[in-house]
Amino acid sequence: MPESRVELHGVRREFRGGAGVHGVDLAIAPGEIHALVGLNGAGKTTLMRLMLGMLRPDAGEVRIDGVRIDDLAPAAWAKVGQLVESALAYGELDVRDNLRLAARLHGVARAEASAMADASIEELDLVRYARVRARRLSLGNRQRVGLAAGLQHDPTLIVLDEPTNALDPAGVIVLREAVVRRARAGAGVLVSSHHLDEVARVADRISVMNDGRLIGTLDPGTIDLERAFFSLVRTDDEARNAA
Amino acid sequence: MSAIGIAVAVETRKAVASRVVPWTTGILAGGLAALTSGLLAAASAGDERVLARLGPLAEADGWALLVGTAAQILAAGGFGACGILIAWLYGREFADGTVAALFALPVRRSSIALGKLVVYLAWAAIMAIALTLMLALLGLAAGLPATDPDGAVQLLRIPLLTMLTALLAVPAGWIASLARSLLAGIAATIVLLVVAQVSAVLGVGSWVPLVAPALWAIDPESVPWPALVGVLIVPVVFGGATAITWARMQLDR
Repeated sequence: MPESRVELHGVRREFRGGAGVHGVDLAIAPGEIHALVGLNGAGKTTLMRLMLGMLRPDAGEVRIDGVRIDDLAPAAWAKVGQLVESALAYGELDVRDNLRLAARLHGVARAEASAMADASIEELDLVRYARVRARRLSLGNRQRVGLAAGLQHDPTLIVLDEPTNALDPAGVIVLREAVVRRARAGAGVLVSSHHLDEVARVADRISVMNDGRLIGTLDPGTIDLERAFFSLVRTDDEARNAA
Repeated sequence: MSAIGIAVAVETRKAVASRVVPWTTGILAGGLAALTSGLLAAASAGDERVLARLGPLAEADGWALLVGTAAQILAAGGFGACGILIAWLYGREFADGTVAALFALPVRRSSIALGKLVVYLAWAAIMAIALTLMLALLGLAAGLPATDPDGAVQLLRIPLLTMLTALLAVPAGWIASLARSLLAGIAATIVLLVVAQVSAVLGVGSWVPLVAPALWAIDPESVPWPALVGVLIVPVVFGGATAITWARMQLDR
């Protein structure tokens, strides 16, 4: 098993106006759930895009299972699952068909794709919506479809950007259990959130991001996580303003 | 199954389930049948305005008149339908917000882009056969002779023109990908259509791939066959450019 499911070394990507990610080092070990917490615009989504090859870094490198992502063989991406931004859910297709197509795109054989989609429908509690077209789903159920598409092929690296968005409390619990189950099986998991939600609270580590940099970590066992989080962010903002 | 095979299978499923594909198909086929029938009825009734619009075709009769009229409509209307369809195939991923889900997959984005192109060309081939059969039935219903060998030769222009028209619309898919906008692909279709039609009417550029099929639709004798073969350059160049655009894409805007 590799030491890290994903590693970032000095990753930098800056946009016009100064936003972006300004030199981030991060590693997620097999079996680790790592939460990335930061306010809106902190750079969480940009960091995740860089991890997944959606953006190319200006400097630094990203490695998945020890291999630079530029050198990663196409088949290796079958072990990655992600939900960054919108779900892979085409409005004209029902939930089951969407998940079957997602499985196929993740390299699952046609003969196995249907059984995988059915199992995922069960796991994400989408049984009553299995034959419903995605365009008719509520935002929360659409999010569940996206999560199912990113998790059903049992990836060893899971990257989820604000996965609890639009989920009801039952959906949050279903997600949390799905994530924990995969981490116990050896997956490295990165979840982002702009608040310390239920999923962030089951993390092994919580990193705080502010203004495109990782500014510190929080102990998941801390009683008043919110207070500790805002204290870190405020201290960082004051230090930058003073500089 | 290979990556391109998976991409074709996935894109086929999406296209079959979509509303855009059947609506585009229906509008193209229905519009072609209605306009061809209407123009021929008006011409046979001696409508001066229609006869003037048909130009040299007004002198023709039988299958030549039917196919010549349909070909003129197809060269313009078919191009519009093809451009809208291929712009949608690529542009929908941006409009629906599904493009991010097409990253970090074992199926490369260039394979997905080529899969879309294969599905588009398969649709064009089906349309080519369907439109030919439809016009044959239209001719037979209008009392044209069923055993006329010239009629069969004339009818064979329809599948060729349909495929050439579809091939010429491939740049609309590239523009939709490059601009990450369905509407940009449709705008490109309109611009290309206007350029092709104006050039054809002016009679210039039988060797220009964009113009050759439209000229050939008006007057088959005026366009040498190598000029029609030259149309193949368009899908090769722009299909390749589309695959490269998808391969190099970043979610930076």
